[in-house]
Amino acid sequence: MSTSEMKAVLQYKTIELIKNIGYFVAGLVVLGLVWEFVSRRLAGELPGPLATWEVFKGLIEEPFYDYGPNDKGIGLQLLSSLSRVGMGFLLGSLVAIPAGILMGASKVGMKLLNPIVQILRPVSPLAWFPIGLVAFQSASSSTVFVIFITSLWPTLINTAFGVSSIPDDHKNVAKAFGFSKIKYIFKVILPYSLPHIITGLKLSVGVAWLVIVAAEMLSGGIGIGFFVWDSWNALSLERVLAAILIIGTVGLLLDKFFSLLQTKFSYDKK
Amino acid sequence: MTKSNYDYMETLTKTKTELCIDVKGVSVRFKTPKGVYTAIQNIDLQIFKGEIISIIGHSGCGKSTLMSTISGMVKPTEGEVIVNNKKVTAPGPDRGIVFQNYSLLPWMTVYQNIYEAVDSVLSSLSREEKRAVVDKAIQMVNLTTHKDKHPQQLSGGMKQRVAIARAFAINPSVLLLDEPFGALDALTKGSMHVELLKLWNLDNRNKTIIMVTHDIEEAIFLSDRIVVMNDGPAATIREIVDVPLPRPRDKREIVNLPEYRITRDHLISLLMDKFSIMDHGVEYVEKQEAEEM
Repeated sequence: MSTSEMKAVLQYKTIELIKNIGYFVAGLVVLGLVWEFVSRRLAGELPGPLATWEVFKGLIEEPFYDYGPNDKGIGLQLLSSLSRVGMGFLLGSLVAIPAGILMGASKVGMKLLNPIVQILRPVSPLAWFPIGLVAFQSASSSTVFVIFITSLWPTLINTAFGVSSIPDDHKNVAKAFGFSKIKYIFKVILPYSLPHIITGLKLSVGVAWLVIVAAEMLSGGIGIGFFVWDSWNALSLERVLAAILIIGTVGLLLDKFFSLLQTKFSYDKK
Repeated sequence: MTKSNYDYMETLTKTKTELCIDVKGVSVRFKTPKGVYTAIQNIDLQIFKGEIISIIGHSGCGKSTLMSTISGMVKPTEGEVIVNNKKVTAPGPDRGIVFQNYSLLPWMTVYQNIYEAVDSVLSSLSREEKRAVVDKAIQMVNLTTHKDKHPQQLSGGMKQRVAIARAFAINPSVLLLDEPFGALDALTKGSMHVELLKLWNLDNRNKTIIMVTHDIEEAIFLSDRIVVMNDGPAATIREIVDVPLPRPRDKREIVNLPEYRITRDHLISLLMDKFSIMDHGVEYVEKQEAEEM
């Protein structure tokens, strides 16, 4: 590519970026206007965007204050939620990936596990909360347990699908050159199914972030879900709305992070 | 025949008496949803050490299936295959396989693709020795400058050279090639033939090579004998055709030899039933028209 061509491409990309930012801002403005309109119609029942913005600023100006168990900064609440999601997601993935490989690689494994997965997958993970309470005797651990259950299914199903779709060509290489089981898993199965596994992880973490809010409303104590519920009890809808914005942004960032992993680990783009 | 060629023919017959592969009454049947499908039926074939054999036939005639019973990828339903005095039950390090569609692992570089095969088959070697084996194999097919590339970055011919290097690297006594050059353009194909014979020569023509193909010219240029298969299902061997051409063969010269033409014409008549628009297809139509009038 010549320098003039590169310049043209760069210019095109810059214009596209500016356009996209423009659309984003325009969307926000429309949302803000509708919000403001609804808020005025309800005569103060629902706080408007400006009032929410003021509260939002207040929240993120001092995110890490800690005035006792019932009054902590939004940053601490977020970190607590993130750490539970991280913990539950990690444990869930550690179970789901090997189980998915087993399901995808062996017909017996598929027949054994698939009916169980099909029954448990449609259940709201929150239904497991009481089981967690009995098992761990702690609301916080129980929340992690709920996230663990949440994280299992998308990863499990995507891993199994990835592993079972390995082309015969790749299997034949392993067969023809007598790859050991270990070599087959690490040099054929895992590299081939890694993009599928990451897709599963991305879906899992997305659902986990959805579920954590509800789970923490049940568990209480600390966390972004508790923060929402606590704000509602304190009749501060501004804080609820601000929290919704923050939850959405964090969810978006988590999703983008896994999308980045996806492009990094898809071998056909090399 | 010139004197030197005559000498060579003598050494040829002398050296190629040691039985390498013995296919004894092999049938292969597959269970399909529509019932049992017989791919090949009661095949007997003896191949000697250092021979280059082509298996030729129409698409779906079971030539790849026959090859797979030798490689051990497919178990015969009846009969058995003996390679180097041992019954074949699974793929083994004494048989190197080159697949039709290269079968390189796309997440590995050229080097890694060969290394993993070497590491697996020649597991007793030290790391350095394995690396030396891989380097030598890559050098043999002139891909040293491309060794850190991924398969997607290589042309079809280069990919096939990697696959051949991988099969040669484990130094098998038998090399099994399943339509190895089928996906290549005519020019690349031509130079790959020469490269394959070069590699075979470098190894003192000790390796037994079996190749599945549907290209008559390719089969004649490379092989000592050509196994012509009948059409499936339940395919059998129609005829085994000797290729009485001296080695080393030159693509430009052999086409002028009478033996070449005789062999080619014989193969064509075995494999095709229509040779020109003037053949019985057209005659038949004309006759029919005549009858109608």
